[in-house]
Amino acid sequence: MDLPAGTRNYTYAQDMAIFRTRTHWVLLAVLFVFLFTAPLYWGNYWLGVANLIGITIIAATGLNILTGYCGQLSIGHAGFIAVGAYTSAVLTNRFELPFLVGLISAGLIAGLIGMIFGIPSLRVKGFYLAISTIAAQFIIIWVLNHWTSVTGGFNGISVPPASIGSIVFISQTSYFYLVMIITVLVIFLAKNLARMRPGRAFVAVRDNDLAAEVMGINLFRYKLLAFFIGCFLAGIAGSLLAHWIGFMNAENFTLIDSVLYIGMIIIGGLGTAAGPIFGALFIRLLQQGITLIAPVLENTFTLPAGFTTGIGPMVFGLAIILFLILEPRGLAHRWQLFKAAYRLWPFSY
Amino acid sequence: MNWRKLLVLAGVVSLALIITMIPLLSAGCAGSAEQPVKVGFSICYTGPAAEKGRPMGDGKLDCMKYINEELGGVAGHQVEVIWRDNQYDAAKAATIINELISSECLLFTTNSSKMMMASAETANRAEFPGFAVFSAPVLTNPPQHIYAQMPDYGDDWAAFAKYYLDNIWQGTEKPKMALHLLNNTTGSGARDAANALADEMGIEIVADEEHTATTISEIESLTRIKAENPDILYISSTPQPTSIIVKNAVELGMYPGMTIACGHASFTSVLVELAGTDAEDVYGVFPTVNWGDDVPAMAKMTEYCQEYHPDDFGNMDYITCWAEGLIVAEILRLAIDNVGVDNLTPQAVEEYGFKKLNNFDVGGLHGPVTYTPGDNRLSKSVRIFQVQNGEIVAITGWVEAPLIPYKFD
Repeated sequence: MDLPAGTRNYTYAQDMAIFRTRTHWVLLAVLFVFLFTAPLYWGNYWLGVANLIGITIIAATGLNILTGYCGQLSIGHAGFIAVGAYTSAVLTNRFELPFLVGLISAGLIAGLIGMIFGIPSLRVKGFYLAISTIAAQFIIIWVLNHWTSVTGGFNGISVPPASIGSIVFISQTSYFYLVMIITVLVIFLAKNLARMRPGRAFVAVRDNDLAAEVMGINLFRYKLLAFFIGCFLAGIAGSLLAHWIGFMNAENFTLIDSVLYIGMIIIGGLGTAAGPIFGALFIRLLQQGITLIAPVLENTFTLPAGFTTGIGPMVFGLAIILFLILEPRGLAHRWQLFKAAYRLWPFSY
Repeated sequence: MNWRKLLVLAGVVSLALIITMIPLLSAGCAGSAEQPVKVGFSICYTGPAAEKGRPMGDGKLDCMKYINEELGGVAGHQVEVIWRDNQYDAAKAATIINELISSECLLFTTNSSKMMMASAETANRAEFPGFAVFSAPVLTNPPQHIYAQMPDYGDDWAAFAKYYLDNIWQGTEKPKMALHLLNNTTGSGARDAANALADEMGIEIVADEEHTATTISEIESLTRIKAENPDILYISSTPQPTSIIVKNAVELGMYPGMTIACGHASFTSVLVELAGTDAEDVYGVFPTVNWGDDVPAMAKMTEYCQEYHPDDFGNMDYITCWAEGLIVAEILRLAIDNVGVDNLTPQAVEEYGFKKLNNFDVGGLHGPVTYTPGDNRLSKSVRIFQVQNGEIVAITGWVEAPLIPYKFD
């Protein structure tokens, strides 16, 4: 990692640290203070949006590990989120198990299901793998809809509020803290994973799997590991989503959602730890912005019937196209450029 | 170089201001000096259900415009509407319901059972009353703080089954019915009712097929149904897939030759437009009157529709939500009369508004609206319609839909 002019590392630990300067630590502290005090100045609505963004970041981080780092394209991510959501819903509702058991099980079951659908990745890649993950999306949703005795079928299943001991996360504020803590842990895990042996192996597999195999990387093992981790995080996100909404129905996990997650990591920046954060923030805030602005436009201007209703899909499509053309490395790259300029400041020329 | 730095600095400051001001601005919008009564609408304006969501959203917003501008609001108070497009997306609906609660709305409505399901848990926990125009039985069973404006998809099935047995079926055996159901609560609602009542009523269910909202052909499923030689094909879906099923049934030579009937989510003018002459003689259950019927609210509704949303003219979904607007106004009026505007809370609106509804006439647009303890369906009446010469024609008066004893987990 680059450092500001005049700053040097003297030990290996310093060289490997994520937060390396006093400024980093101060900014981190400011961020945490901001997040912990957010409920004081955000209403329920914005806390709800923040919860959705946090859950989205967790799911997008999983997809980023799978697709961004390891190069295994998955268009069935919403299906894996559904597995997590239903696992947690069934365990906490039907079996009345504690939330934490539901949460961890959601990750594990989604990870295992992900590994099963990841098996074809040894033989197929790219477009063909994408098709096999689409199959996962459809198979999972079909099972959820038709395994009525367990999942409630089309009528869905209600999900009790998350609780740990005597703490019940029923308000948006309490849920915000839960989601925030898990999101921070997941980001930290993902950042470190990328710097460890598995992360480096993922990148090697992504860049050239033949060369990676020649270097001694067990392709099957690492591809399945990527599927497990990516889907584990999808499962965790699904569990949090289920307890947040309080009611699960397989209709909540569509192919469009899977495509949306791919859009997020493209916009945020594939293969970067910050990418999913930027992507989730961008897409979710864009959606909220459009939701808020559409009624204002409709009321202020005399627009043809239904004009404002097309803004959402149009802007989302436009954003994807513009990012692919103008900034294919995503917002994370813009962030890197900004940091580079900041490090050289005031001599950035 | 200074300019560049200044620009970057200005950009960063602007971004920071925007991020910090968004919540403050929205919080600022929440309270105003006059405190009009607030209601929230979560509308499927875009997304997969937009073909129904848009006319419904237009209907309810036009009705609120009429109430505010021509009737002077409710009991002298303007009704402030906070409406949001939920895009038929559950996560979005979940954030919207939080916004409506935070914005101190007194009640909320949404169009579809899926969106209500995504909102219901939060609303029930917050004791924030709301109702869905179209709903599945699971939403109101057991009854909590969520209501159904009209009979649900299960009631449609029960009403048509009774009509069929009383008026159409001539045989001595049990009539054979095939179900073709949308793969969500719209379809499962009809299935739940069929499971609960078919045996008791004397109907044999011989096939139960599913389709998606985006289906382009149902030849395969209809071929399986054809092998069972049903007397009735009952469809509970939305207009587009229903039109495909009807057209495919004609292609396979199944229809005419059996009875086709649809639940209310299928049966609008869009179905007739899409299926054309193939839809001739198809039966449908719908809980409202038709366009042009001689009922008190028709003239004003038609005037607003033609002025503001002429594309919706002829669409019965517009009628359902115009009626919804009238019900919202009546609930608020009752609550204001009972507790006064200063004491209005969502809980008061539920207790003294929703639960005081008694035989309220929505200008004749649909059956009377009454709250019955233990039954959160507000209107309990439907009518049977038929497509005749390309027009949707009512063939019965209001038929009361009984409360079906569902058993949900």
